[in-house]
Amino acid sequence: MSTARASRRGARRQTLLGLAFASPFIIGGAIFIVWPTIASALYSFTDFNLFQAPRFVGIANYSQMFQDPTFWKALVNTAVLTVFGVPLTIVISLVGAHLLNLPVFGQPIYRALVYVPTIVPAVVGGYLWRWMLNTEYGFVNYFLGLLHLPQPLWLDDPAWGKPAILLMCMWTIGGTTIIYLAALKEVPAELHEAAQLDGAGFFARFRNITWPTISPVTLFQTIVTIIAYLQIFTQPYLLTQTRLNESSGGPGQSMLTYAMYLYQNAFVFLKMGYASAMAWVLFLITLVVTLLLLWSSRRWVHYGSDEER
Amino acid sequence: MITAATKRRTAVRWFALGVAAVSAVALSGCSGSGSSSGPTTITFSYLWSGAEAKALEKVIADFNKSQKAIKVVGVSSPDAQKQLTSMSSSNGSFDISDNFGNTVGSWASKGIIAPLDDYLKSDGVDTSQFAPSALQQMKYDGKIYALPIAVHTQALMYNKDIFQKAGLQPPTSMDELAADIKKLTVRDAGGNITQIGMGNPSTSTLMTTLGYVFGGTWDGPDNKTPTPTDPGNIKGLNWYVSTFNDAFGADKVAAFSSGLGQYMSAQDPFYTGKEAMVIDGEWQAVNIPQVAPNLHWGVIPIPASDSSLADTTQVSTSTLFIPSNSKHKAEAATFLAYMVGDKAMTQFTLALGNLPSKTNLLDSSAYQDIPNFSVWLNLLKSENAHALSSEPYSAQYATDLGAAFDDVVRGAQTPEQAMQSVAAKAKSY
Repeated sequence: MSTARASRRGARRQTLLGLAFASPFIIGGAIFIVWPTIASALYSFTDFNLFQAPRFVGIANYSQMFQDPTFWKALVNTAVLTVFGVPLTIVISLVGAHLLNLPVFGQPIYRALVYVPTIVPAVVGGYLWRWMLNTEYGFVNYFLGLLHLPQPLWLDDPAWGKPAILLMCMWTIGGTTIIYLAALKEVPAELHEAAQLDGAGFFARFRNITWPTISPVTLFQTIVTIIAYLQIFTQPYLLTQTRLNESSGGPGQSMLTYAMYLYQNAFVFLKMGYASAMAWVLFLITLVVTLLLLWSSRRWVHYGSDEER
Repeated sequence: MITAATKRRTAVRWFALGVAAVSAVALSGCSGSGSSSGPTTITFSYLWSGAEAKALEKVIADFNKSQKAIKVVGVSSPDAQKQLTSMSSSNGSFDISDNFGNTVGSWASKGIIAPLDDYLKSDGVDTSQFAPSALQQMKYDGKIYALPIAVHTQALMYNKDIFQKAGLQPPTSMDELAADIKKLTVRDAGGNITQIGMGNPSTSTLMTTLGYVFGGTWDGPDNKTPTPTDPGNIKGLNWYVSTFNDAFGADKVAAFSSGLGQYMSAQDPFYTGKEAMVIDGEWQAVNIPQVAPNLHWGVIPIPASDSSLADTTQVSTSTLFIPSNSKHKAEAATFLAYMVGDKAMTQFTLALGNLPSKTNLLDSSAYQDIPNFSVWLNLLKSENAHALSSEPYSAQYATDLGAAFDDVVRGAQTPEQAMQSVAAKAKSY
């Protein structure tokens, strides 16, 4: 009997020891993640300006959102960016990964070059792109001019603000590409060989071998990219920044994203309650979109063979 | 070369004094920590940087030398967000700082910055010396929460060479100005603008100023209510629309403006002659001799739309304030009083090329050497000098107005529509 008691005591020791080792994360998570989350939920039902005690206002912040034209504008802008940005990111990085997988001379250099823009600090990249997109002195319109293509006013034309943001985002696509490249390495070469012997061309092999094998990676990349686009802030903020911490939202507020308007409310207008409510609405939107995607994944994502599952 | 030698000698003396001051402070810091005899150290965190910070440090050094009770430590911290967050905790990181006048009301209403009336009385600051339009921005609920260290007015600058070539005299009315803009705008066969009669460095500033020029008000007679649809404002915006959009096409103006060089740089479109005129502030008078010394330019008050509205201008302010969480408000106020004193204000505004905020300094000979500066100086005395209010709603109002002005400039909305949409939003401020 004593051995059983000893082992029970040992188990409890093990648990405590485990908790002790995990305590930096548990305590840190509680202070820096759980508590702020709860706090923002509470603030979202108050009128709070950071400096004075919050005042309970019920669901006023949430109902105000429905009547706030700027909120809807920002939401639509963000949705447009997401709808175009996510597929573009997936397609371009998948094509890029295939190209980087070709056994050509200097392959490691190309791989490094694709990743380099990701290392450039976002603020530096932002100011760089403001110059690149300048209609008179910028490289983008210079090259468009060489090709006799129309030279849009980019940051001064409501129709071209979002393409400018997407252009800047595509520049830092290296991270997604590298993950795809790693996934491509995992596709069994023998399957490709067998299919090739059976006379399957590149596209047939991509559809029947590559795409199913990397579909879990695609699911992951899609979710991560959607979340990134729903929260997009740095690029449009830097492209439209005017003075101090204010940012204009671009011509016709065409570049005002959800996160930018949230930031404006929080730190320029000092409406923390409204900003907190907006943050929770964005969280719910993200949750719903992610759940929908996970639900749909049963139809198109393949996890190994059926026997294993 | 006597001047160079004297300059160098003065520089050496300054350096020696600086070393002496620093070592004195360091020594007293070692011995006097905790003792009541040592000076109280206060921190002055400012958003200025570069040459402006250097000028400010000189004023600080003068103050530190002038007395023994207070030692001011200057910190250049151009991050406005950091400034705000520092004031939200119970322990602040600075005792005095600066910002623009339009933040005063919002911050005062939230208790972020401290009321100054009692301190100003005990430090002997005569607030009646400040230009009324500037002082109005410093007040919230009847109390003074900040003081203007430097102010700015708007006037009409013109390129003398372009005017001479066209055989024109500077305009004397808004109708004449509109006519001159049309005459001085050059377009190619396709209607593309290659030179414009009047530039637009900041749409918000131009449009709010035009509102004042046509007798409008943006904050109502009580200075507390957003009135975007005031008839004068609409008139001002319509003047813009008929002068630019109707005459040249909003898309052509946008195409022209988007390719212009950077403001105040050597490629500034007014400096390079791409803009014949521009409504802008006094800082240009100091910048142009440095960046574009060959530019022949003149400046006049913005022409009147009506004789009762002569010398209309928009005033904006740079402020000094004391955060509520400062532990040394009285000492900070003493330093603030020194900063807005005649000597320090003159020294600092001269270095920045800004206007002093006190009317008794406007005729000071100190500003005589800056070309054309007197026009902006005199405008501050004008009865028609207006400043936007600094109310709790001001930040949001400015953002909404900015977006609406943008719609007007692009021709997406008429002035009436745009201002009505702002009025609708203003109801929920």
